[in-house]
Amino acid sequence: MRLQSITMTNFRQFKETQRFDLRSDTVKPVTLIFGANGAGKTTLLNAFSWALYGKMSDDVEHQQRLVTDSVWRATAIGNAVEVGVEIVFDHEGHDYRVQRRARMHKESDQQSPIAPDPQMWITKPDGSSELVGAPQEMIHTILPHGVSRFFFFNGERIENLVKKGAHSEVQQDIKVLLDLEQVARALVHLPKVDRKLTADIRKHGGDKASDIQKSIDDLNDRKTPLREESKALESNLATLDEERESVMNLLRQHSETAPIQKQRDDVTNELDEARRSLATALSERANLIATRGFLAFTEDLTNSTKAMADAMYQKGALPAPLKREFVDQLLDEGECICGTPLAANTEPWKKVTNWRQRAGLQAVETVWQRLSGQIDPMTSDRRSLRDELGQSMKRIGDQRDRVSRLEETKSELDGKLRDIRLENVQSLESKRIDLDNRRSDKERQIGAVNHDLEQITKDIEQKTKDRKNAEVTDELAIKARARSELVQNVRRALEEILEIRKDDMRRRLDEELKSVFRSITHKNYVPSLSEGFELTLHTNVDGVQLPVPKSTGENQILSLSFVAAVSKLAREIRKERRAEGQAAADAGTYPIVMDAAFGSLDHDYQEAVSRALAQMAPQLVVLVSKSQGLGKVADELNPYVSHLGVIESHTNLTSKPEDDIELRGYSHPYIRHAASEFSSLKEITS
Amino acid sequence: MSSAGRIERQVLEELSEEEQTLLKRVLQIERAKLNVSAYDATDDLLAVVKEIIP
Repeated sequence: MRLQSITMTNFRQFKETQRFDLRSDTVKPVTLIFGANGAGKTTLLNAFSWALYGKMSDDVEHQQRLVTDSVWRATAIGNAVEVGVEIVFDHEGHDYRVQRRARMHKESDQQSPIAPDPQMWITKPDGSSELVGAPQEMIHTILPHGVSRFFFFNGERIENLVKKGAHSEVQQDIKVLLDLEQVARALVHLPKVDRKLTADIRKHGGDKASDIQKSIDDLNDRKTPLREESKALESNLATLDEERESVMNLLRQHSETAPIQKQRDDVTNELDEARRSLATALSERANLIATRGFLAFTEDLTNSTKAMADAMYQKGALPAPLKREFVDQLLDEGECICGTPLAANTEPWKKVTNWRQRAGLQAVETVWQRLSGQIDPMTSDRRSLRDELGQSMKRIGDQRDRVSRLEETKSELDGKLRDIRLENVQSLESKRIDLDNRRSDKERQIGAVNHDLEQITKDIEQKTKDRKNAEVTDELAIKARARSELVQNVRRALEEILEIRKDDMRRRLDEELKSVFRSITHKNYVPSLSEGFELTLHTNVDGVQLPVPKSTGENQILSLSFVAAVSKLAREIRKERRAEGQAAADAGTYPIVMDAAFGSLDHDYQEAVSRALAQMAPQLVVLVSKSQGLGKVADELNPYVSHLGVIESHTNLTSKPEDDIELRGYSHPYIRHAASEFSSLKEITS
Repeated sequence: MSSAGRIERQVLEELSEEEQTLLKRVLQIERAKLNVSAYDATDDLLAVVKEIIP
């Protein structure tokens, strides 16, 4: 999706019809629009989501007041006024025009809420336009609403994308963008397809195949409620986590408990780390024992083997450089190398046979040498095993001590919090304990349900194999079985593809996030995207990763980095050759439209963010105030700007001085006095 | 990467031609109806299976 233009008609601050060209190219992807506070930057941002989805962001006050106040005031009761937004964009080789407009009849000074449907046209290659039948569906196909928040956002609220508790929602939205959702949906529908197909096996498959199919169906019937139960339990767990986090936050904010809570947080983090280290040490020891543990029992064995080999060595001088095979060959051929015939039981035959015995000792010597070569180092291997096991045991002991020390400290701190004689602190602490217990309970239940699900899946796999081998004579049933096999194989492949994509997506998002974040911040902070899609920030202190508290500025940079990573990955993923087939050239391309992108960042960060932004998206519309956008921001973005605009703000407050904005060496009206309040969107072309 | 370190292409290559066709069509159908959460593609997918094995 690449934006071409936006046209607003009497939309909020924007009086009459105002159009702005947004076409940009890869060299100059940026449109930079300046506007004073209240001029309509947020309105412009919301105009996009209103036109596309019929919604403005929740924080917009008086959502029903769509028509410019001054225009509504000037409209006589009984008359009507036009309001609307039109967006022109291209997507995957087609041009689209979306329009949401209404004619509002004035019945009072208050505006009634309206929800006009969108209209959409697609331009055909011959230049003619055709109305799209289900426009809202088409818009959702191009950019689903849940995903749009990554591309149309308010910088001051961008933290919401990565705030605690938002990750599960974010994870869901990203799934659509990065080609996971269709796989997940296919996995819901394919079993239903299979069920319909196998009806014929149940009916006509003969005794055995029919019975097997019934068992498979029963197992599937059991699976569905279990899956739902698992989902519900996961969701309960997430709710408990959020509740627990909010209780913890309240405890953290409480002045009496804040220091103890802080101490407990630190101890809890350290305890988690200590438990992980203990687990690692235990698994290292297990690995050591599994791979080299046998060495401990080889002392007597090697000594006796060596003694035996030494005795054998001492027994004979083993001088003969003869191989037993050579002597055997002479005996077989019945003639010695000197030409003497070797008839059985003759004297020469006996002599050569005796050599055969002695030649065998040569082999013994070789083996003895090889064996000695292996026995000797075993002593030192045993010693090193003992040393390593000793070290491992020490590490385990140390970590055990650390864990129990930290558990004691945590208990002390828990006790302190419990004993604080403040009613709300005690109740919060009791609530926390209760939530912890309920969490553990839920985790146990999830474990049990998932175990049952795994077992059922295995049973179904086995039954499906049995079905394959069962005798079926009926034509319909044979065909049904072949079709079912086809569906099952595709389902299994899709399950694997989903896992591969999920893992690949998280890993790549994490890498990209780190890279963008590093290019903006000067701090030694490393962001990470966990498997559960939680964003955390760490710093490296002497080789140990420690979590760091995020300031508002860092949260904003973290969020911007995340949006940048999502945008880049969406493009990359759609371009790759996938199971869905070749994608269009601009697949996965979306504009980023951001209001107040720089929020409360300091000047250095503003500069770094501007630089990163210019490279962040294939198309970027940045809405800024004079104080946010001039100076370093304008300098950084200027080489990439294809359209420069100003929202000229008109005020009827004469006490407020008029103001200009200096852009590209020229002065342009920024705030002007007028008879009524409204804004105009003007492109700076000079 | 999955636990076995496999990539998507490997999974696809292990499928027969018929299975590859079905998998591709399934994803195309599901993707086209992604925005309609209530849409149940079962019958569409069933028709595709019957096309592949008539």
